[in-house]
Amino acid sequence: MLADKSGKQYYEEMNQLEVNRTALWSVIQKTCRSRIRTWLDICTHCGLCAESCFYYLANQRDPTQVPSYKIQSTLGQIIRRKGDVDNAFMQMVMDTAYAKCTCCNRCGLYCPLGIDTGIMFGYVRGLLFSQGFVPWEMKIGSGMHRVYRAQMDITTEDWVDTCEWMAEEYEEDWPGLTIPIDKTNAEIMYTVNAREPKHYPEDLAEAAILFHVAGANWTVPSEGWEETSLAMFAGDWEACKLQVESVYDAMDRLKPQRMVVTECGHAYRATVIEGPYWAGLQTGKTPIESFHYVEWVAEALRTGKLKIDPAKKIKEPVTYQDSCNYIRNAGLGDAAREIMSYMAEDFREMKPSREHNFCCGGGGGLNGIGRYRQQRNIGLKVKRDQILSTGAKLVVAPCHNCWDAIRDLEEVYRIGIRWSFLKPLLIKMIEVPEHLKPQEE
Amino acid sequence: MFKKILFATTASPTCDNAAKVAFDLELKWDAKLIVFHVLGVPTRGYSPFVTDVRTGEIEQPDPDYIEWVKEEMKNTYAVLLEDSENSVLEAAVGVPHREILRMARKENVDMIIMGAHTRADDVGATKYRSIAGSTMQKVAKAARCPVVIISRPCTTCWKLFSNIVIGTDFSKAAHSAFLWAYRLAKEVGAKLHIFHAFDISGANFAQAQGQPEIEQKIAAARKRIEAAYIPLMKDFDNYGIEIWEGIPYVEILKFAREKKADLIVMAHHTREVDPEEAELGSTVEQVVLRAACPVASVNHPDKVTERVA
Repeated sequence: MLADKSGKQYYEEMNQLEVNRTALWSVIQKTCRSRIRTWLDICTHCGLCAESCFYYLANQRDPTQVPSYKIQSTLGQIIRRKGDVDNAFMQMVMDTAYAKCTCCNRCGLYCPLGIDTGIMFGYVRGLLFSQGFVPWEMKIGSGMHRVYRAQMDITTEDWVDTCEWMAEEYEEDWPGLTIPIDKTNAEIMYTVNAREPKHYPEDLAEAAILFHVAGANWTVPSEGWEETSLAMFAGDWEACKLQVESVYDAMDRLKPQRMVVTECGHAYRATVIEGPYWAGLQTGKTPIESFHYVEWVAEALRTGKLKIDPAKKIKEPVTYQDSCNYIRNAGLGDAAREIMSYMAEDFREMKPSREHNFCCGGGGGLNGIGRYRQQRNIGLKVKRDQILSTGAKLVVAPCHNCWDAIRDLEEVYRIGIRWSFLKPLLIKMIEVPEHLKPQEE
Repeated sequence: MFKKILFATTASPTCDNAAKVAFDLELKWDAKLIVFHVLGVPTRGYSPFVTDVRTGEIEQPDPDYIEWVKEEMKNTYAVLLEDSENSVLEAAVGVPHREILRMARKENVDMIIMGAHTRADDVGATKYRSIAGSTMQKVAKAARCPVVIISRPCTTCWKLFSNIVIGTDFSKAAHSAFLWAYRLAKEVGAKLHIFHAFDISGANFAQAQGQPEIEQKIAAARKRIEAAYIPLMKDFDNYGIEIWEGIPYVEILKFAREKKADLIVMAHHTREVDPEEAELGSTVEQVVLRAACPVASVNHPDKVTERVA
């Protein structure tokens, strides 16, 4: 499957799939509970959700991009027809669920009845997955989670070795720097996005440097270190559960006081917001308190564990990309503003911002799906215009997906911007205590 | 002295001069040569797309694609491969400097050879603008073995070494550089030129030193070299010491030219590697770009002395 160029063969085989109508209807009867059924029933088709959807705005107000239309013509139809749908219909549903909705949940804020189409499309993806109608890359991603408990092929050995490697590489510039593995009773258990150890291990080193400077008692687990969940985007419910359980197991094993996750949006949503339900935890909460990286940074700056050198504050206009997955799903807008108040002299809000901010345009796994590249690029226009109107040339994007989408929009539209995670910016700006500096003889 | 050599290449003409040297070295030292090309830069978030380093095109690499790239490498180096006895071709997806460092660490190589990847043409998107140029910097800073950078055709090609210049600034890293240069000079029977440039540029310029003070500093530097380096060379006496004043990179280039150096050895220990701010800013980069001979950047003690190697 991995050798299938762009999933060509995979999609050809998908054309031959027979929809198992009985199974589909049976799954719906078991899993489509009152919330979604009520939402589908009470929708008055008033259209107030239309303008809330960035796809609708980016596609010249195409009526088929209205959230209510999108969900009624897909999930609504499947239920009305009691699962009696064919292959072509399911492929249309797949195209809608992936290329017309990034599950950003913005429409839910604007519906007078509180109907959240994003959540429903998340559910639709589960139905699609159960019938084999899932984009090729998502299928691979969720498969990786099943095999490696990570979205990429990284073994425990690879991961531990990467931690050692990074400590080795950066130790010279940061004397005493370590990446403690499997330390019990630490204050913080840090978890990451597999792209970091796989391709960008500097990110891990940067996190270590900031913990080191802040004097944190921290650790990473040798297993259960991956917090992302492509399984969530793929609708692979079983893999979702397996993945978060690996993280919760690490919490139980190492007994840290709390968990902090790297600058990734969907990882936080999957593991902290949705995960407890997948794992069947009665509290609806993770076994220990869990923080997004922006919360930790805000706290470290507030308590003075990290201090910004006032001379090094960002002077140029800078804006901030609120990631849907921790803004609308967890309300972390204040933490972001607090951080920017320490870091930037000329912080400019996107309009709208916070929980009203638009999706970067690449959420819900869309950045990674070749089949929908064109649709994705059209959707990026909304974010492009939002950034342009701030006048800022630097966009802080503490989310891997937003980071990618903003970079890609620069590639497609060339508006002359730069973008960054928080970590590299912070490392340049913090005051380093004398005893942590390298000693030149 | 060199059992395993990693030749990190863009698989493009930029690295042709370096390729020649890499394959020559393989034969001269009976080493294993790993010819390694990093073909695509991946995204930060989940995606199968990479930006092809050579073309700037977006690609979805799969095992076939990587095989195809290796096949291309075989064609590119067909002539050199004919004589090669112990070389392998490898290709990988990733950020070039990171994958080069990963490979060097995994294979525990004794030396990395690179072309001077300073590409004028803006291949790929804005985002990758700085990657090619800073790869060398990042590899040189972090690699645990000497990194030899070759930007011009190399006539002597390490077969007939006669003059090795070691530029020192007395840092810890420069100490490692010295040890390696000394070992190499001894091994190949070359003359070792120990050189220090007293910096009167930039920040130091404002101090407005008079000639007597400069002379004083030069004398002090000579004493320092005599104290720090000479005892380490034991009975090896084919060396010279010189200290010039000026802008370090200019002086070392002039010196290398005068001595007909076949190799310049330096440490490369700038702390900041910010591609936007430091790109080709430091002395080493200037030397690499302008030198007529290969430049070795040595920064760590790991692969320097025989005991460790």
